[in-house]
Amino acid sequence: MGNCLKSPTSDDISLLHESQSDRASFSTDPDLEPPPPYQEQAHMPLYHPTPSQARLATQLTEEEQIRIAQRIGLIQHLPRGVYDGGPDGSEKKIRECVICMLDFVYGDPIRFLPCMHIYHLDCIDDWLMRSFTCPSCMEPVDAALLSTYETN
Amino acid sequence: MSGLPRRITKETQRLFQEPVPGIRATPDEANARYFHVVIAGPADSPFEGGTFKLELFLPEEYPMAAPKVRFMTKIYHPNVDKLGRICLDILKDKWSPALQIRTVLLSIQALLSAPNPDDPLANDVAEQWKNDESEAIKTAKKWTARYAKEK
Repeated sequence: MGNCLKSPTSDDISLLHESQSDRASFSTDPDLEPPPPYQEQAHMPLYHPTPSQARLATQLTEEEQIRIAQRIGLIQHLPRGVYDGGPDGSEKKIRECVICMLDFVYGDPIRFLPCMHIYHLDCIDDWLMRSFTCPSCMEPVDAALLSTYETN
Repeated sequence: MSGLPRRITKETQRLFQEPVPGIRATPDEANARYFHVVIAGPADSPFEGGTFKLELFLPEEYPMAAPKVRFMTKIYHPNVDKLGRICLDILKDKWSPALQIRTVLLSIQALLSAPNPDDPLANDVAEQWKNDESEAIKTAKKWTARYAKEK
């Protein structure tokens, strides 16, 4: 589980042209997270065990760490895409991301929740780390995930 | 500190362009995250005829965290305590970033129309409300007349 999570469809191409472009620097890959305990000076991300709390990774209890790790895994299972107005223009009606209140622009990375509400990827992931519910319909995302697994 | 998020600018503009009936929210001149709010007591409630001042603050985390809202005008209400703090689920665990300043203020207006003594913040007021509602309403009207009338 988890290996297929970050599988962007566009960037693998760069591997074929590795020597042609010096700009492809692998050291700055944001997906490569340093092992937390040994990197004392590393930038410490804030986590939110509940929506109203903000704590550094080192201040979390073991239980909270596990829950957050599981949450990250679950979020990565949710389908992501790029805003293109929908296959039949069905998403055209949805103009704005209710979280940032900015209009969706063609090409924006988006995430689909099981209830079919869509948001900017960064906006919804930030929220899902705090509360695993759809902001629009308040539907718990994990319950909906489980039921889609069952029906499929 | 980073600049004001577009969302806050947009909400402020919309509040100005399409105001909510009975509610006025004006951003502070010095702090765009701080709003001076006035809610008119809803008709057919013990707060009718009163104008209630509130303060609303959008924390740095907004909209991931709820706005902080407080009554500045004294009010006799089972869900508002002596300090003006409001017991309202959407300001706490039921917050969602799909909610806005507008929806929060509408919810507070609705709370004035329908006090909920079973989920109290001011315990003594809630007790009074449950034991003798007509007496509680009388007190609420008295407080409205005393503290919430614009001079």
